[in-house]
Amino acid sequence: MDHPSLTSEKRPHWLAFGRELVWPRANLTLLLVLPTLLFLACFLVAPYVNMLVMSFRNPSTSNVFAPGYTVGNYTKALTDPYYLTVLGQTMLFGIVTTIVCLVLGYPVAYHLARTSSRWKGFLYVGILSPLLVGVVVRCYGWIILLANNGLINDALKKLGLIAGGLKLMYNPFGVGVGLVHVFLPFMILPLVSAIQSIDPTLEEAAQSLGATRTRIMRRIVIPLSLPGVQAGSILVFVLTISAYVIPILLGAFKIKIMPTLVIQLLIDAFLWPFGAALAFILAASGAAVVFLFLRLTGRLMKGVV
Amino acid sequence: MTRLTISGLTKNFGDVAAVDNLNLEIADGELISLLGPSGCGKTTTLRSIAGFVEPDAGRILFDGVDITGLAPERRNIGMVFQNYALFPHMTVDQNLRFGLEMRRVREREMASRIAEVLEIVQLTGLEGRYPRQLSGGQQQRVALARCLVTEPRVLLLDEPLTNLDAKLREEMRFFIRSLQKRIGITTVYVTHDQAEAMVISDRIVVMFKGRISQAGDPTEIYAHPVSREVADFIGLCNFIDGRVGAVTGDERYTVQTPIGDVSCRSGIPLAAGDEATIVVRPESIRLGRRPSADPGVNSVPGKVRARFYLGNFCGYRVACADGTIIQVQEEPWHGGGVDDDVWCIFASDLAWIIHH
Amino acid sequence: MVQARLRARARRTVFLAVVAAVYGFLLLPLVIVILASFNAGELLTFPPKGFSLRWYVHFFNSQPFMDSLFFSLRLAAMTMVLATLFGTSAALYVVRFAGRWRDGLRLLIVAPLLLPEILTAIALLFFFYNIGLGKTVIALVAGHVLITLPFVFLAVSSVLYNFDTSLEEAARSLGADRFTTFRRITLPIIKPGVISGAMLAFIVSFDLFAVSLLLKGIGTVTLPIQLFDYVTWDFDPTAAAVSTVSIAITLFIVLLAERMVGLRSLRF
Repeated sequence: MDHPSLTSEKRPHWLAFGRELVWPRANLTLLLVLPTLLFLACFLVAPYVNMLVMSFRNPSTSNVFAPGYTVGNYTKALTDPYYLTVLGQTMLFGIVTTIVCLVLGYPVAYHLARTSSRWKGFLYVGILSPLLVGVVVRCYGWIILLANNGLINDALKKLGLIAGGLKLMYNPFGVGVGLVHVFLPFMILPLVSAIQSIDPTLEEAAQSLGATRTRIMRRIVIPLSLPGVQAGSILVFVLTISAYVIPILLGAFKIKIMPTLVIQLLIDAFLWPFGAALAFILAASGAAVVFLFLRLTGRLMKGVV
Repeated sequence: MTRLTISGLTKNFGDVAAVDNLNLEIADGELISLLGPSGCGKTTTLRSIAGFVEPDAGRILFDGVDITGLAPERRNIGMVFQNYALFPHMTVDQNLRFGLEMRRVREREMASRIAEVLEIVQLTGLEGRYPRQLSGGQQQRVALARCLVTEPRVLLLDEPLTNLDAKLREEMRFFIRSLQKRIGITTVYVTHDQAEAMVISDRIVVMFKGRISQAGDPTEIYAHPVSREVADFIGLCNFIDGRVGAVTGDERYTVQTPIGDVSCRSGIPLAAGDEATIVVRPESIRLGRRPSADPGVNSVPGKVRARFYLGNFCGYRVACADGTIIQVQEEPWHGGGVDDDVWCIFASDLAWIIHH
Repeated sequence: MVQARLRARARRTVFLAVVAAVYGFLLLPLVIVILASFNAGELLTFPPKGFSLRWYVHFFNSQPFMDSLFFSLRLAAMTMVLATLFGTSAALYVVRFAGRWRDGLRLLIVAPLLLPEILTAIALLFFFYNIGLGKTVIALVAGHVLITLPFVFLAVSSVLYNFDTSLEEAARSLGADRFTTFRRITLPIIKPGVISGAMLAFIVSFDLFAVSLLLKGIGTVTLPIQLFDYVTWDFDPTAAAVSTVSIAITLFIVLLAERMVGLRSLRF
């Protein structure tokens, strides 16, 4: 049985030059990614550049912005104590939320990474399912629980444990609870991944050398899981300082943080250039904190990565 | 069937020469093994024949026709991969049909060819199974069947038995060999297992660092290795370095070594004073209490340092004159124990001088 | 000796209790919301008052809620289709053909995930206003696709990275050309990645808030926005019913995808 291609068939024209062409031409496959690239250039790159430009525009009272450019938006934001306070509060929320998520999330992550129970899949679902439900729904759940006449207060009163109502909402505590709840999975998942990649026999080796569980955690597991701690912390921090819905629903307008402020300036006051400048200042501050964090923890990670 | 010619094949990855000016002629119906350590270029050579690697230089010819520029799907080859590469979303039957569909074989002929090849690999009845429902050995045979049902010109196997357990591997070796002989298809077999290569090949091509060190039939490679690398790669050996003392006959020499004068054979002509390394296989040596009187036999004195029992034979490590350790393998010898003084006795025919 | 054993057990129990408590913390609001939606009374009290479906009735009778629900569903569907098309083709290119551009392209495509949603939403708001597309549906769809595309991309490229290319080589050695190989071997095998990516795109789009808030036009309100408005002014459990329906829809999509490809492929 002779395969036709090896006998009398005329050689394809692209072999005429003697060059071998066994692989696809790069130019044709570019078509695969071109639509996406154009889409991103149009709707990601251009808008961000435009927003940067917007932050340098002159503010206007009658329109979203006036002609001309200025650095005034930035100077105003950085010299006004009010905005600096709000910025500081936002960063503080970010840091506290991250720490709480780390403390609560690490045990869960360790458990999930090391467990061989057949419920492992369900546990994953337990962590992932809150993510698949919208943030508004999750906050609403907390409203029901934390409100002055909400479930927790009601239960405590009925059980006779308290007389008046506890103020669990419309204050930093309520917002903090919401933030931790919504962003905890983002801390847990990278941690699980990092802990899973630590060879379990390392812990066994430490045990055989006489280390207690606490020592093993402190000197083996935690140091080796630092890349996961880094990833999770950065993720939670950035998400927290950009959170808009949670502070509004659980803090009303009593809790002032940057995202709320920026949106207010944009939608209510139409001060677009100033809002843009604030947005960039927020991003830059966040980046600075992340950078510092990476430097600090980087020193702890020698030999791990 | 098909004569396979590789001419001047060269392939570089970065500044490493994976295959360096390789020339090889494979006769119609021959099974040759490409044998060597990982990184020696055997897989690259195989994949060049298949068309998955574009050579930097050289040509590949099937029956004299240059197919170097041809895409893999037009070469009419059959390839068995190390992990079998069975299509997981298709049943055994669908896997087997795939190649036939590409060749537009008619439905009725397809069915009969598939039935025939399933019988040959002894998997009749498993057509409806998915690969994950089969054992490793069964998957192996499906992979083979999938190639053979298309009646390719050349069969290429890339370490097909590496993922099977030892016993199954041995069985499959014979199976593949008898199958290949029956069908008479030209076959190139890549492996790093020298025992495997010895069992199944018409010829073994030993490769190191992208080049062919030696090509020949198994006995030739084993008994008369051309270099230290080749000798060391195939089976255990003892190396004794020395200098040629005298020429004692046609291909026969006496070599002066630290452990005594050894009479041996060489394939290449040597002169007195030349450096020589002698290879003696452990199983060629027997231990005795007295030296042998036979002039054609070497007797080297030594002391047993270690002895271990391997089931079908005993292994010994004997320390000779200047501390050189000779490894010996022979049937359990009643009486040879550690610290005994013994004589290592081996025929001069079995002492082979290799190139430097 | 026994004391140490007991101490170890006690420690383990405390540990498991803490872990269980955190899981409880994660799931508590969801459970509460679902319970509240069936509550007879207006406020969820302790103990609960009784079982009733009146809030669901209220929800399904509410024109604004129904409109926003169907709008969200339609928007999510369209987003899913577009994001899947873009994401899958981009993943194919980046994993297979990108060469030295691979890391840069990857970063660019995943960027919308790394940048805070609020920033992206603001940027889009400015941009669309400046080019005159104001608060049209195009802007909304573009914003949704932008945020969900990375999910599809990550899901598909994960499958592609783990793809055994020897399967394609086997197909070619059997005589299949590149297109046939892609059609009959590659596509069927990456299907789970494509489907889980599409599912994720749908769910994320359905729940998206910031982008929808800033880009919404007149009469194009998504369900999360509608719910948000309702919740900031009114506390009655209609919101719980809406939330539960929202959870149910998400659950349905997840189960549908699981049916099609198996739960294991959801992890990436």
